[in-house]
Amino acid sequence: MLEVQNLSKSFYGTKAVDDITFRVESGEILGFLGPNGAGKTTTMRMITGFLPPTAGAVSLDGVDMAARPLEAKRHLGYLPETLAIYPEMRVAEYVRYRAELCGVPKKEAAARVGEALAKCFVDDVAKKPIGNLSKGYRQRVGLAAALVHRPKVLVMDEPTIGLDPRQIVKVRELIRDLRKDHTILLSTHILPEVELVCDRILIIDRGKIVAQGTPETLRQEMSHQPGLVLALKGEIAEADAAFRQLPGVTHAARIGAGGETRVVLESDRGVDLREAAFREVVARGWTLLEMTPKQASLEDVFVRLVSREADLAAAAEAEARERATTAEIPKIAEDKP
Amino acid sequence: MKSLLAIVKREFFAYFVSPLAYVILTAFLLINGYVFYLILLALNAPETPRTALMSLFFTNVFYWIFMMLVSSVISMRLLSEERKSGSIESLLTAPVSEATVVFGKFVGGWCFFLFLWLPTVLYPALLARHGRLDWGPVAAGYLGIALVGALFIAAGTFASALTKNQIVAAVIGFVIILAIFLVGIFKDFATDPRLRDALSYLNLIEHMEDFARGIVDTRRLVYVGSTAVFFLFLATRALDANKGR
Repeated sequence: MLEVQNLSKSFYGTKAVDDITFRVESGEILGFLGPNGAGKTTTMRMITGFLPPTAGAVSLDGVDMAARPLEAKRHLGYLPETLAIYPEMRVAEYVRYRAELCGVPKKEAAARVGEALAKCFVDDVAKKPIGNLSKGYRQRVGLAAALVHRPKVLVMDEPTIGLDPRQIVKVRELIRDLRKDHTILLSTHILPEVELVCDRILIIDRGKIVAQGTPETLRQEMSHQPGLVLALKGEIAEADAAFRQLPGVTHAARIGAGGETRVVLESDRGVDLREAAFREVVARGWTLLEMTPKQASLEDVFVRLVSREADLAAAAEAEARERATTAEIPKIAEDKP
Repeated sequence: MKSLLAIVKREFFAYFVSPLAYVILTAFLLINGYVFYLILLALNAPETPRTALMSLFFTNVFYWIFMMLVSSVISMRLLSEERKSGSIESLLTAPVSEATVVFGKFVGGWCFFLFLWLPTVLYPALLARHGRLDWGPVAAGYLGIALVGALFIAAGTFASALTKNQIVAAVIGFVIILAIFLVGIFKDFATDPRLRDALSYLNLIEHMEDFARGIVDTRRLVYVGSTAVFFLFLATRALDANKGR
């Protein structure tokens, strides 16, 4: 279990992370999502005890990071974004070194190393120097090193960055598989990854949490206008007008092409249009080819959230600037005799 | 303790996979071999005053220049390399404190330094075969080497914590080490007897001459030990302040 409370970090007066609170239960994978520079890496570095927070607290499996860092770090496996592993060491040697560093008892070390290597599918390169491995292998070696002491909490910063598609699939499978033994926090800016891998999502932007929830609830919450997409046989000019009369429909648009008419309906939240739309089609004697609920993709959600925040911030900044200049004018006037 | 050993081990063996180690080893043996040859010449000359064998080593300019150079080169990579590559992040998120990391790396570098001296044990062994040799002062001499090495490498470790660039770390390290060495030399310019005494306490050449005569003076041990610990403390603070950058 990982708990983060009111975590903040300032660099030279600039807030990189601003009052973040969340928790990850054991057996859960939390996806940490945000545009580049949103504060993901900084947050992770505070969680892992690499950077001290300006304010707030982190606890891993109930152990406070600031108060008892060595004990807290024993529960932590960390895969950093810059996967720097000593290139001159051999794979098994490095994982063994990490095991010793993390206090794995000597008697168990060999077995644990073997187990970690097998789990991450790197046992076939155990004797190779890390510097000779491809990025995908190195990523998995890093993961094996993070797992070797069986930490309760696993933190991964962009675990699939720089991998080829086949390797990405493999690493994702691996991460999903790890869920049963670990509490996992992973950061990414790849949206499909979050949907595929994570149980819950946390979106941060400019150091603040802007949304959190399961991929489904996020999508529902953020799709401002729920609605339907209908496909009707033939080109029907009056289709949009007909649907617009239905109760609850706020907007209807029609696109006719290739002997088909597509109608996009938007409704108020909580209104289910499906039945009314079907009856309307039947009553008019049209042929219904397709009916799909209109769903905002997570990508839409993300872009909307992040850009909205950016717009708001830009607006606030512009306003502040304006206020500053207007405030200065009388001052200058006063100074003159 | 176990994690400390793991760090020491990895640091020590890391030297042997870089060409630098072999360059240092070769140069070290060449120069020491030459110094030994000079000492043999001196010992064979009838006009040489009867003196402790090891002091011929330690009053030698080669010895000091090489000590300073080798120490700064050995220690330059200890922390700067980790910070440059970013592996410091993995290291410090393991359950080890900064102090353990710094100390482990220092000991690893120091062990390599001691390893360099290992072949030179052959010289006194050779001399012992051809004449009487008092092993006491020889052992004390090696103790002196180990101590001065510890002091220099601790200073170099501190320099390595200051920058991500190994060359810059080597230069800073060399300057600090040179300053440590030169402070004692100023003894000869001091006129005030108290200042003279104080500087003499810091004089590393005198320090080594003592050891060469077989005198293990606790004041020397305290000076070297406390200064080395001080530099390691500074290195820990510097690492703590710089790690995120």
